[in-house]
Amino acid sequence: MTTPLLDVRDLTVTINRDGHLITALDKVSFSVNPGEVLGIVGESGAGKSITGAAIIDLLVPPLKRTGGTITLAGERLDRLSPKAMRSVRGGRIGFIFQDPMTSLNPVISIGRQLCDTIEAHLKIGGEKTKRKALEWIERVGLPNPEVQFRRYPHQLSGGMRQRIVIALALCANPALVIADEPTTALDVSVQAHILQLMRDLHRESRASMMLITHDLGVIAKMADRVAVLYAGRVAEISTVGELFNAPKHPYTRGLIRATPMPSADGEVRLDQIPGAMPGLGAVPPGCAFNPRCFKAEGDCRAAIPPLTTEESAAFSCFHPLERETA
Amino acid sequence: MSAQDFLTLNHVSKVYRRNQSLLERLKKTDTGGTKAVSDVSLTVRHGETVGLVGESGCGKSTLARLVSGLMEPTSGEIAFRKDGAGRTPRLQMIFQDPYSSLNGRWTIEDIIAEPIRVHKLRRGRAAIRARVDELLTQVGLSPADAEKYPQEFSGGQRQRICIARALAGEPEFLILDEPTSALDVSVQDQILNLLRDLQKNLALTSLFITHNLSVVRIMADRIGVMYLGELVEEAPSEELFLRPRHPYTRLLIDAAPDMDTSDRSLHPIAGELPNPAFPPSGCRFHTRCPFAKDICRNTAPPQKTAGTGGMFRCHFDLELSNAQAIPPASKARTA
Repeated sequence: MTTPLLDVRDLTVTINRDGHLITALDKVSFSVNPGEVLGIVGESGAGKSITGAAIIDLLVPPLKRTGGTITLAGERLDRLSPKAMRSVRGGRIGFIFQDPMTSLNPVISIGRQLCDTIEAHLKIGGEKTKRKALEWIERVGLPNPEVQFRRYPHQLSGGMRQRIVIALALCANPALVIADEPTTALDVSVQAHILQLMRDLHRESRASMMLITHDLGVIAKMADRVAVLYAGRVAEISTVGELFNAPKHPYTRGLIRATPMPSADGEVRLDQIPGAMPGLGAVPPGCAFNPRCFKAEGDCRAAIPPLTTEESAAFSCFHPLERETA
Repeated sequence: MSAQDFLTLNHVSKVYRRNQSLLERLKKTDTGGTKAVSDVSLTVRHGETVGLVGESGCGKSTLARLVSGLMEPTSGEIAFRKDGAGRTPRLQMIFQDPYSSLNGRWTIEDIIAEPIRVHKLRRGRAAIRARVDELLTQVGLSPADAEKYPQEFSGGQRQRICIARALAGEPEFLILDEPTSALDVSVQDQILNLLRDLQKNLALTSLFITHNLSVVRIMADRIGVMYLGELVEEAPSEELFLRPRHPYTRLLIDAAPDMDTSDRSLHPIAGELPNPAFPPSGCRFHTRCPFAKDICRNTAPPQKTAGTGGMFRCHFDLELSNAQAIPPASKARTA
């Protein structure tokens, strides 16, 4: 049993809506081991992005962290002062955002943005900083680093911009990288490049990664372990092979089956989950998935199923699926 | 045009021009422009769903607008089959974003009733209301929803309202521009299943535009693949996936990550999408094609007919039935 690099316990985030407290994240617990890629998957509104933002304390009011602990390599991040947290962000934790259009400053050159980040966290001095920035531009696969250094975000394509965002996230040698939908805004052919780049850099740096996405295909190719979120709660955490081949939670299986994907023999199946995920503040009593679940019984409506750990997997379901004998 | 043909596009092109300066206008110089759609010929037969796939900037949405008549093609012609009275078929569109394509100040009843009123399909309040209720039921909502406003609904329900509105015009032809891209997977399935049922029951002819190959495979009878404004391949759906003839089709199929956790290799397409304003010479795909030879750089490939009735634009007859057909060198290239 290795000590996890990041350990999140009972993380709770609430929204204050005119005095009413609405739970957005409900006691979410997971951990990321050193060098591991943890995928976080779920539909929009499941709380994936809030989880990422809560870890680096970037929640925007009315969202507020109201409980739980976040431990990075033995240090309690949730107890840090805002100032100390600032040096963690971009330093020990790098962040890759979804939209490369809005996560770069449009009026500052690529080179300046990289130098600023490197200088702020590594403090290695002018000439070295620039050399490192150029090195990073090259490492993320942009031609002519000297030219790119002076260019502005609008002069780059979406894929090139996302490469720069990745360079910014990694240039201070973080222990953990949080990537929030890093390829969602990109075309498929570009997406595969960016995933390949992230994989290469991850292998080189051995930093841990939290990969937040709604795309199960990306999860299947990139993650070592996966946490499935549903309505602000963890439905299941499992290794990637286990999750896709023998899911325990009915929602996980529903999600996998709902994704239109040709199977090996070329046939396309399409099984839908009835209904839609409950909105904020409208989570039904008991298991959040019970109105849509084909296995739901009385106990599912009465109590919230606890996260049960079984071998390498954990799931919150009273009636987990049996391993299919097919 | 044969009896079965519902819609034919004949060498359709659309050029977006930038605004010319006064001097340029006086001198009447041709400043060129971005050829968003270039020489596309396509036939849609009666009762058929034709899918169009491609990456952003390939011209698929422009083509949808041309077909819908929202824009005029720069050259070429678009012809619909006319009925006995010389009337062109009724056409409706379903758009990508159900949040911006519904008027937030109108009730659902107003929204769905509008095409009925405009086309004078029903007379009298009661008859229109009855039709609205019927449509709401047909798309899986309840008649009670007619009094509500769009913001009271989720994304999936809004897309159902958009579908009901499109059906209200009793269209013979439907253009669907990325109808499920803004939706979550579990909701996307419900909408796709609904659309499939409607296609079957109403015998609709439609054009289905998407960037998602898996979705188009489920929905379309035939699929056209677009790259930088050109239609590079067109074939019956299963044929296209099992035996693609154009290297771009093969690479596009492989590029989307599937859910197989045992083979975790990624298959990026070499290079980046060129600027559509300055497409490469010769074959437009030659800058990224692992099979490119000299001829591809200089000569635009001819349009070839495949044995199964499909069309492709490539100088070579490549065997691309399985993923191993692509030379591994091009897969390994990441930059």
